[in-house]
Parts: sequence; structure tokens; C-alpha cells
Amino acid sequence: MKFITIDKKDWANGIGKSRKTYKLFGPVKDKNGFLIKSLEKDIMPEMDYPDSVMSAKSIIFPQTEKMLCTTLDESQEEHHIMKRVEMDNSPRAILGIRPYDAKAIQIVNLNFDTDDFRDPYWCDALNATTLIGLGINKPGPFDFSTSTGTGPFCEEGLDILMADLDDKYLAKILTDKGKAFMDVCEFEIKADEKESQALFDILRKEAEKNIKSHIDTDKLSEKTILELHDAPFWDDVAFSCINCGTCTFVCPTCWCFDIQDETKQKSSIRFRNWDTCMSSLFTRHATGHNPRATKTQRVRQRFMHKLKYFFDKYDQGIMCVGCGRCVKSCPVNIDIREVCNIMNTYKKQD
Amino acid sequence: MNTCINKIRELALELLDKKEVEKVIGFANGTIPLATSPIAITSKQDIEKLVFNSTCGLNLANYLRDQKGKIAVIAKGCDTRNIVTHIVENQIKRDQLFIIGVPCNGMIDQFKIAALFNDEIIEFSEDGDTLNIKSSLKEEKLYKKDYLRENCKVCMHKNPVIYDVLAMDLVEEQTLDNPYPDVDKIEAMDSDKKWQHFQDLTKNCIRCYACKNACPLCYCPTCFVDESSPQWVGKGQNKTDVNTFHYLRAFHCAGRCTDCGACVQACPMDINVRDFTRKLNKDSFEMFGWEAGLDITKRPPLDAYSPDDPDDFIK
Amino acid sequence: MGNLFEHMGIERDRIHFSWISSAEATKFVDVVKEISDKVRALGPNKKLVKDYN
Repeated sequence: MKFITIDKKDWANGIGKSRKTYKLFGPVKDKNGFLIKSLEKDIMPEMDYPDSVMSAKSIIFPQTEKMLCTTLDESQEEHHIMKRVEMDNSPRAILGIRPYDAKAIQIVNLNFDTDDFRDPYWCDALNATTLIGLGINKPGPFDFSTSTGTGPFCEEGLDILMADLDDKYLAKILTDKGKAFMDVCEFEIKADEKESQALFDILRKEAEKNIKSHIDTDKLSEKTILELHDAPFWDDVAFSCINCGTCTFVCPTCWCFDIQDETKQKSSIRFRNWDTCMSSLFTRHATGHNPRATKTQRVRQRFMHKLKYFFDKYDQGIMCVGCGRCVKSCPVNIDIREVCNIMNTYKKQD
Repeated sequence: MNTCINKIRELALELLDKKEVEKVIGFANGTIPLATSPIAITSKQDIEKLVFNSTCGLNLANYLRDQKGKIAVIAKGCDTRNIVTHIVENQIKRDQLFIIGVPCNGMIDQFKIAALFNDEIIEFSEDGDTLNIKSSLKEEKLYKKDYLRENCKVCMHKNPVIYDVLAMDLVEEQTLDNPYPDVDKIEAMDSDKKWQHFQDLTKNCIRCYACKNACPLCYCPTCFVDESSPQWVGKGQNKTDVNTFHYLRAFHCAGRCTDCGACVQACPMDINVRDFTRKLNKDSFEMFGWEAGLDITKRPPLDAYSPDDPDDFIK
Repeated sequence: MGNLFEHMGIERDRIHFSWISSAEATKFVDVVKEISDKVRALGPNKKLVKDYN
């Protein structure tokens, strides 16, 4: 494990050097808060940012992504044969990604990269991406990441974890990808390993202490799926829901997508869009039958998937990293922390 | 407005107690500052959950369809106008509703307030016309008047237009010489500037459809955006598709929109989607002298024919 | 609808409404001529045209 000190005065210069090799992404201020966007030319990431409205997942898993294309022109030799669209998989780096967002990418990876199936679009994009996280010294009020197994200085999924020490960054290099990025930036002032680790530990503990928002998940495994599924509280939870897709779109761990074909004149493309289990269309069959026809069923599905089905299937905790984005963005303030606690404490009445 | 909550609770309690209604639909406190959440109260023990303050900006008319039995609803001026629209459009019957009208002094714009702070807001309280807001870095005392939502600033129907009982005295309505200065500003642009204005407006749209789903007017069993045969609009993030969605959504609200602002409040990306509907409201007013949701006996202009209808666009 | 399109930045002269009886051949010709002249003057429309690239 290697630690590097970066004087903030050298930061812009080093990042500038990395642009020759990497396409950069990072937090920039937009109208309604921060968004993780492509950092064109001289735009620098605003590292000291309250959490972005949208997570960083779109950099690897765009909301709309072309998959296959073909021509319908029968005079062409390979007409009607779908071929993979060429993608730009040159190296890219996300600067200042929140540690829980990196952990979320690991969670999504469980779905897209398995022994049986490998989603080439996701995997190739992820391979091309270096994740440079920044520990959160001052977690916001909606952050409950310590109770979801992540936390403000979580290293999982990251290539580099940095800590902000006012006039400098201390960077912990976690992978070869991380090292390659540091080399390109020519950040090479080594820091003492023991001292640096101790400093990281202090900062982590301090930050974790500042997280006031918690959920309990300890009793979720004791309950059967049907017990929770048939519990009486879902109508109340779902009453205010308007079935928009905000919660699922801002969520860093929601991975569902819908595939669409479109043609224009002789060219045809197949692409995928983020889909949302809040939409009735999500499960509507070609016959017209819809197994999740009511909003209560759909709201229940979202929470059951995140807090029970995923939990049971993968045995790797819940499918929530505690970023609190859905809590903040939900137009009607349906709060996953409350729902989780209701589920966790629920006891079936005999 | 803070004091009317006691009256609301008193009325709600009485209605439930006498079994005059099955449920009372109102607002409950949210789990985070500046948030309230629609709630249906069915038992007397939950009456204390009802609140009413300047963050109750969603439109409760959106929660009245497909309900069984008689229901009471807490309704601001704009909510009652949408209730009227629902009655006119046969979405609900007047006698199924008990309307607790709340004259409204406007709702606050949470994005405008959030923009004053560099970190998250952790506390919000309201005292008459003063808003007390705290983040971990600073504390602000604000005048509510300065932070009203744009639609509330130009609202000329603060008082409920239809109700069974009022939760407080009627408030004074404002009269404006020009209720549509925002539309005028866009109308003064040339075609390319207008186009650019709307391109910029929707650039962050994530098509979550919170705007249409928060809107009481949008109740079609299958929305045009979800139709697949024919498919009216592409489902991706292509700019043309995103804008087509917004134009068509707006046009479906022509002559029906009450400018309640729920769409803007619901948008997670702070897009002023009212820029689309406001033009139609202005046209409805100028061409047909029509404001939506004022009278349960009148059909909306696009639903009725009159020999006086303007026809100078037909050559 | 014309007003909304105009408001969105689609030029007003691209949208025309007319009532022409099947017996009014000359009116039809005149209207179509007027439309095509006006649209030609505006040039090709680039707004609300879907581009896949």
C-alpha cells in the first residue's frame, strides 16, 4: 500500500497532465446542485462539494446507451445483421467520487459481471475507468452510509482514496489502475505508510462520528420473504407515491434497463435506457397482464429488492449504500430509512 | 397559516368521529427539513400527524381518484381548482368529497432557499411570515414573501373556489395588471433564441416523469409516453425525444392547467416546466377568457364549441 | 397549437391551417403554393428533428 502527498498547489497541474491519457469526469456545479459531468478542457472538479444530485453511475452506465446497429438497406451485404456499436473505451477517470458511489458500482457489478453472463457494455466501460475517491470529512445530514456497510472513507471499489488535509491531499493508492493514474499526473511525493494510515483512521472515525442518521438491518434476515411481502404496512408506505422514477434514477445501485429498437430511413439501432420499477410499464406483459399493476406493488418491489431479495440472494448486505439521494430527491419524501426500519422491526401478528 | 392546523385537525377529528368520511387526505411532516408528504388519515389517533405549512406545495387533487367511500381533503386555492377540473372531467363526484378549504398565502421555493446555503439544510421552521432555516454552517431568517414559488407570486386564486368548510378566514386576492410577465419575456425572443431557451431548460431532464405524475391533470390509464403501438415518442435521452415529451405533456394541459406548481416542486432537477404550460394558460385567457377550474358548470374551451371561438388562424 | 410551436421556437410559417372544400381546387392550389413559398423561404427545419449520432 502506497501513500502519496499532493500539495493543492500542484493539483491542477497534475490533473492537467492526466488529460493526455484520460478523459476526466468530476463534480461541477449546475443549476440545482452538483452533477458528475465530463470535465472539458480547463474545467476543474469542485472537490469540496455537497453530494451530487445524481450519482456517478451514468459515467459507466449511461441513461441511454447504444448497443447494436444495422442497416436495412438490402443492397448492403450485411443488412439486418445487428452489430455492436463501437464505443469509446479509452481510459477515463472520475475525480472526487464519493466512496459510497464506488461501493455502489461494485454492487451493480454483481449483476453485470457474473460467471454465467458478462454485460460487455458495462464491463468494458468499468475496465476503462479509474475511480479516484475523496473521503468525506463532513458527511451531510442525509448520509447514513455507516449503517449500510460503506461509510465516508470506504475503500471498496475505489482505485485511489484521497483525504482532504486543507492545504494538501493525502492519496492512498489501492490498485494498479490507481498507481497508473498517479504516475501520469506525476504525483510522486511519498508519504510515510504508518503515519498516513493512522491519519486516515483518525479522519474516518471523526467523519463517522458526524453521521447522525442510521438504519438497522440486523433483523431483515430473520423474516421470510412472504412475511414481509404480505405485511400490512405497504399501502401506507405507498400512499403518497406518485410513481415517478426519481428514486431509481438518482440511486447509485439501481441497474434495471429497458431495450428499445429505433429505425430512421435505412439505419436501425438498438439501445438501452434506464428503466424504473416504479413505472407500470416495467412489468406489463405483451398480453396486457401486469403482475405489478398497482402502485403499492411497485413501491413494495423497490424496497423488497433493495432490502430483502438482494440481501438474501447475494449475502452481501443490502442493495443500498446510504447516500440518501432518494430521500432528498423524492417529491413526496418517501424515506428508505423509515421503510427499512419498519421492515426490520416488523413482527407478524398471529 | 400556522394557526389553521388546529382548526384542520378539529374538523378532521369531527368528520372521522361522526363517520362522515372514511379518510382525510392532507399533509404530514416529512422526515427531512422543507418536506411534507401527502397522507391519508383513517383513524382518530393519527390526527396529530396532519400539518399545514408553506412546504405543502403538492396538489392533493392528485390523490382523490379511485378512492372508495366519502373522503375529506385539505385543499388550497389551486387544489380546489383542480378538484373542479376533476369534477368537470368526471374523475370524481362532488358528493364524494368533503372539502376543507385552506386560503393560502403561497408556498415556498425549496430550490431557491437551498441555493443560499453551501451545505445541506438541517432545520426549518416557520413563524408567521418569517422562515427560520439552519444548515451546519449558518442560520438564516428569511421573509417568506421573498422566497415564494414563482407560480404563487402570480397567483390570483389563493382562496378555495369550492369548499364545504374553511379552515381559516379568506385572504385578500391580488390583482395583477400583467399576470404573465414570464411568458412575455419568452415571446419577445426570436425563434432561435426561444428554441435555445427550451433546449437549455430541459438539458438536465432525466425523464423521471415526476412533473407529469405530480400533476392532477395527468390521469390517463396509459400515458402517450408509455404507448408502444404506435410509439409517439422515443424513450431515450435524445434531445428531440425529451423535448417532444415536454411539449406534448404541456399541450395536454392546455386550458386545464391551474398553475398549481406541483410539477416544478416535484422536479428533482429544478426544471421550470411551467415555462411550457404558462404560454397555454395565457393563450386560454386571451383567446377564450378562460381560467381553468373556477366553475363546475362550465366546459373547458378545447372541449366545447362556440361560434365566438377565434378562427383567424384558418386561412 | 401554432402558438405553442411558435413559442417553442418553431417558426410560425411552418404551420398552416386551412379549410378547403373538395370543390375549391383553386383555393387548394393557392394555399399549397403559399405554404411552399413560406417554408422554402425559411429553409430546411432543423428543430425537433431526431439525430441518431
